[in-house]
Amino acid sequence: MIAPRPPRPPAGDARARECVRILNVKTSQRRVVVTGLGAVTSIGTNLSDFWKNLIAGMCGIRPLSLFDASGYRTRTAAEVTDIPDGFLTAAEKRRMSRADRMGLAAASEAIRGSGLDLSREDPRRVGVILGGGTSGLLDSEEFYGRYLRGQNARPSRILNHLPDAITDRLAQRFQLEGIKSTITTACSSSANALGFAFDAIRAGFAEVVLTGGSDVLARLTYGGFNSLRSVDPDPCRPFDRERRGLSIGEAAGILVFEEAEHARRRGAPVLAEFRGYGVTSDAFHMTAPDPSGAAGGRTIRAALGSARLNASDVDYVNAHGTATSQNDSAETAAVKSGLGERAREIPVSSIKSMIGHCLCASGAIEAVATVLTIRDGIVPPTIHYENPDPACDLDVVPNVAREVAVDVAISNSFAFGGNSSVIVLARFDGAP
Amino acid sequence: MLPRVLITGTGAVCPLGRSPQEFYRRLRAGETAIRPMTDAERGTLQATHVARCDGFSPQPEIPAMKARRFDRGSQFAIVACAQALAEARYDVAADPEAIGIAMGTGSAGAGAVTEFLRVLLQESPEAAPPFHFPNTVANAPASQVSIELKLHGPNVTITQKDPSALNALLFASLSIGSGRARAMIAGAVDEWNAIYAMGFDRVGALRGERRASGIVQGEGAFALLLEEEGSALARGARPLARLAGIAVVGVPTDPYRFAPDAGAIERVVRGALADAGTETGGVTLWFPSRDGVVEMDRAERAAMEAVFGAPPPALSVKDAIGEMAAAGGGQLVAACRALAAAEEWPASAPRRALVNSFGAGGNFLAAVIESVP
Repeated sequence: MIAPRPPRPPAGDARARECVRILNVKTSQRRVVVTGLGAVTSIGTNLSDFWKNLIAGMCGIRPLSLFDASGYRTRTAAEVTDIPDGFLTAAEKRRMSRADRMGLAAASEAIRGSGLDLSREDPRRVGVILGGGTSGLLDSEEFYGRYLRGQNARPSRILNHLPDAITDRLAQRFQLEGIKSTITTACSSSANALGFAFDAIRAGFAEVVLTGGSDVLARLTYGGFNSLRSVDPDPCRPFDRERRGLSIGEAAGILVFEEAEHARRRGAPVLAEFRGYGVTSDAFHMTAPDPSGAAGGRTIRAALGSARLNASDVDYVNAHGTATSQNDSAETAAVKSGLGERAREIPVSSIKSMIGHCLCASGAIEAVATVLTIRDGIVPPTIHYENPDPACDLDVVPNVAREVAVDVAISNSFAFGGNSSVIVLARFDGAP
Repeated sequence: MLPRVLITGTGAVCPLGRSPQEFYRRLRAGETAIRPMTDAERGTLQATHVARCDGFSPQPEIPAMKARRFDRGSQFAIVACAQALAEARYDVAADPEAIGIAMGTGSAGAGAVTEFLRVLLQESPEAAPPFHFPNTVANAPASQVSIELKLHGPNVTITQKDPSALNALLFASLSIGSGRARAMIAGAVDEWNAIYAMGFDRVGALRGERRASGIVQGEGAFALLLEEEGSALARGARPLARLAGIAVVGVPTDPYRFAPDAGAIERVVRGALADAGTETGGVTLWFPSRDGVVEMDRAERAAMEAVFGAPPPALSVKDAIGEMAAAGGGQLVAACRALAAAEEWPASAPRRALVNSFGAGGNFLAAVIESVP
């Protein structure tokens, strides 16, 4: 599974190609395509199971078992029950966090699907840019609990604490020597990571970037959203009038981003093109979205501008759709602001109704789903939807998946701090 | 004509000063803010020293009533970013969507994380204070800066070990280069936290009584205001320096291990120089990554000798303010001040400064900053 380390190219030629002027991005004609996908989620721990169950409307939100949930206000989560990490030795597993193992499984699947033979790639031209989540926090919490109780706490438990640990871990596993970076913007982390990967390839920093994120359940985030009373004790109901908050989930979603010409030369399967993205700050409040939707609408317009597309081109919106009272109405306003009159005709669905809010991995796993929507012409549903809300009067594809030809889709991510990000994915037209 | 990136303002809140001018003056004078830990700071650590923003007050930039809402890292960041905008005389309100922020950090949120979890683990999940939760995210400082300074453009935070600040610089440059913003604050922030210090001490990262190789921790925030050259000159900005080049190299290793690879360092330095359109000529000042991790420092020295023969004079920021993910921000601010005050450097007025920033997990970045005639 792991390619042997390739011989180093001669220093002279690598140096010249490694360092492209970064300031000429605007003139860059390079395009970025998606050639591989990997998914580990509560409704399927590989890409085909995830997709099959997603369009079947399966709910992955169940009683939480990863840690003792008895003291929390809610007891459910979209938990991954069987990480496909059989390719790791017992010693490797001990050294790695749960997020590492999920991320490596998804990355292996994505690379396999892309057909990339890493032994034939220049490792200096392959990077890793991820959204950073809880990383090894689950282990750190156990360390900290023991420390607080005055018990012996093994420091090896905290070695994976920092959110960038998994980025280094992926690069180590696949012996990559290119750009590495980790975006930590809470719930928009991995959407921004995709954007950074896009900019980095266009600017010539890399030909291939593994991007996305892996974020796992932890007491801090589970307790945190509970303390804010933002969690629904039952499975979440995005855009429903009776919605009572989010369901917390965990997932890994990894995408192989590749410069289009590089993909063409090796005859790679192109699943979609990453056309552009927008990232803005609403500068409004740390936790509450701007209710007018103005900032979200601005982000959608910025993303379409980056993609050189118009609002009228958009066929599908993969919503942030957390099922909090504030998010869903603000997002409805944002979609209307960004897409105008047509907004109510466009299918808009929240897969968080099935896999929960996977926090720092949500932008990545939702991008994976959006690519598959473009590939197969099927829009996943928003499940648990019963009661229309006048404040959320979009076509939310209630409960049943729908066949729709989708050439252009956007996926929204909004985060604490007023961070908002929108990515644009499109069918690749194949033109050089 | 390529869009080029000018640096028109700087900000610093750090152990060696509460303004970029004071920080640079004391750095240049050879002062250090590294001091013995107090008994309360040290607890049972084997580490002995630290560099902190002792006596920091968020006033006058943040009114006292308001300051209480922000964690310490956010206070540092707001003050440093406000300084950078003020120095550049940049009018955010003229077009709030044209300006954004990218911040590097290794520890932002640590205070809120450790306090929230302490209550959750020691008392009960229901007792955990909701007030702290929004500040547990690493992007709290950058977001508070956006809210306070009303920046509506891109807003991201990056964590990538010690070179987090240079990662933020890279992201900010790409944001300007791709037209997502005309101006970006490239910043960095870290707050010292006793629990995190205990963790770093136990995993063997800190220099102290029992360990000769390791870092001394610092804290603080730094900011550079980057502007697209055309719009900066059009508004009559007076640039301090220009971002000329940047490069990044990865070495595969465990996330918590050092990869003291002189070859990788040589590549990243040559990469930044090539990006700046120069070979070794004109680099008259070197801001080393050197932070007390012996094998990494030795590799940096060897790589610099391989590139330059005799490396240019070094100005070590980390000897003065300690090491942290934000330290690269201090190196960048110091580089800009040195280039803007070239007349202070009689022997060889700095025309170009090389900033090295390396960290555990095989992360290597280098940047070249040059003076503007």
